[in-house]
Amino acid sequence: MLRSDPQARAALKAPAQVVSLRVNGEWREIAVKPRVTLVEAIRDLVGLTGTKASCESGTCGACTVLLDGRPVVSCLTLAVACDGMEVRTVEGLTDGEKLSALQEAFLEYGAVQCGFCTPGMLMSATALLERDPKPDRETINKALEGNLCRCTGYNGIVDAVLAASGQTRPRKE
Amino acid sequence: MILFDFGYERAATAEEAVARLARLGDDARLLAGGTDLLPNMRAELAMPATLVSLEGIACEPPRALADGSIRIDALTRLADLERAPLIAERLPMLAAAARAVGSHQIREMGTIGGNLCQETRCLYLNQRHDYQFAPPCFKRGGECCYPFPRNKSDVCWSVHMSDVAPALIALDASLEILGAGGTRRAGIEDLFSGSGLRPLTLGPAELLRSVTVAPRPARWGWGFHKSTVRGGLEYGMSVCAVALRLEPDGRTCAEARIALGAVRERPLRSPKAESLLAGSVLDPARLTQAATAGAAEANPLPHHGFTKRHLSDNLKIYLRRTLEQALSRAREEEGAC
Repeated sequence: MLRSDPQARAALKAPAQVVSLRVNGEWREIAVKPRVTLVEAIRDLVGLTGTKASCESGTCGACTVLLDGRPVVSCLTLAVACDGMEVRTVEGLTDGEKLSALQEAFLEYGAVQCGFCTPGMLMSATALLERDPKPDRETINKALEGNLCRCTGYNGIVDAVLAASGQTRPRKE
Repeated sequence: MILFDFGYERAATAEEAVARLARLGDDARLLAGGTDLLPNMRAELAMPATLVSLEGIACEPPRALADGSIRIDALTRLADLERAPLIAERLPMLAAAARAVGSHQIREMGTIGGNLCQETRCLYLNQRHDYQFAPPCFKRGGECCYPFPRNKSDVCWSVHMSDVAPALIALDASLEILGAGGTRRAGIEDLFSGSGLRPLTLGPAELLRSVTVAPRPARWGWGFHKSTVRGGLEYGMSVCAVALRLEPDGRTCAEARIALGAVRERPLRSPKAESLLAGSVLDPARLTQAATAGAAEANPLPHHGFTKRHLSDNLKIYLRRTLEQALSRAREEEGAC
C-alpha cells in the first residue's frame, strides 16, 4: 500500500471525466480529474463558495453538503463519484433573498459568530430536520457531532435548531 | 486536496470489481465510502494508481435468512445499519456499535465493510508528511519504528481502531469473501492478520461481500462500550464488546465472548477472561476478576497519546461495566421469556 514508483506515477495521466451534477436544482456539467474532491468542484468549478473547505480530512464538517439527501463531508467525496447525483449546498437553502426558517433561527439565537462552520452546521441541521422534524436536544447534539465550532460553544446552535423545529425555548433577554 | 493523479474506474457488480482488481494488480484499491482511504491518500500514506469504485454496485438492505441468521451487505452504510428496524430489533449491539463510529457524516458515507477493512493507525504514521519532514517510519518504507525505536525494526505497532469489529467478533459473525476463484467463507477473526504492516488477510484481488450473524440463543445479553474523551467524532480509547449466555438457572454463565477494540494491531478476544466466566456463577467479584484478566492479557499498545497504564486501567473498569451490562440484559431477557 505504501509503495510508490515516481516514474510510473509521472507516466500516469489520469484523464478528466465529465460529471453531471444537479446543484441546488440546476444541472451542471463539469470536467474533473478523479483526484478532485466534491468541495473543490463546488467551490472552484461550479463557483458556489458558501461551502467551506477547512480540515479536508473529514474532521471539521465545514464542507458538509447534502448528496442525494445524505449529509456528507464533501472533502472526502470524489467529484467523479457524484455523477448524476443531487447536491444541495448552503446556497440552496434560501428562497431568493428569503432565508429559511433554520437560517432565521441561527440569526436570532446568536448561533453565528465567525461564521466559518455555519454552512456545514446548516446542512447537517437541515438533514436532521428532514429526517426528524421534532428532535430533542440529545438528538441534535448527536446529529451535529461532526461539525466543529470554535466560537459559539454550541448552545446557541442547538437552541436555534430547537427553535426552527417549532420547539421554542424562551429566549433569555 | 489530493496531490497526485490516479485513475478511477467504476464496477457495476462485485464480480467485475474483483476482475478489475485482478487485472490492475497491487496498485489498485477498492473505494467504498472513502472515509478511511481518502484521508490516507491525502496524507500520501496510500498512493494507489487506480481506484475501483464500488458505488455502482447494488446494496441490498439487511435481511433475515431462512435459518434465522441476518445477512448484511458489506456496502451497507453505517447510518443505514443504525436505522434498520431489523438490526435494531435483532442485533441492537451492532446498531450501538455503528452509532459509535465517527460523526454523523462519516456514518452516512462509511460502510460496514470499509469499517472492518480500515487501515491501522498510529500518531506518528498519521501525522502530515507533506509540509514537514518526519523521517519515514517502517510502515512508510523507512528503517525504524520511531514511536517504539527500541523495538525490532520489522514490527509495526499501529492500532486497529474499528468499533464495529469487536461487536461482530462478540456476535461470532462470518464473512463472505469474493475472490477471482469464487466465494469463500471465513470467520470474522480470520480477517485480521495481527500485523500492523498488513492488517488484513484479504488477498490482493479479494472483496469482502457480506457479513452474516447467526441467530441469537435464548438467555443471552450484550454489552458494548466505546471510551472516548469527547463522546463523538473520535477514535476510541478502547472498545469493549461482550456477549454472555446464561444457563437456565439465570446465574451461571454458559458461554462468554469478549472482544476488545483499539488495543492492538487487531481486535482481540480475551480467552482467559472468557474461561474465567464460562461455567461459573456471575457475582460482582467474578466479573471484576475477569475484567482484570482481560485487561492484563490485552496488553494494550499506547495510542493517540494515551499511555499503556491509562489504557489498562480503562479496560479494567469498562470491561467490568460492559460485563455487568451484558449480565443484566441477559437476566432481563430471561424475565421476559
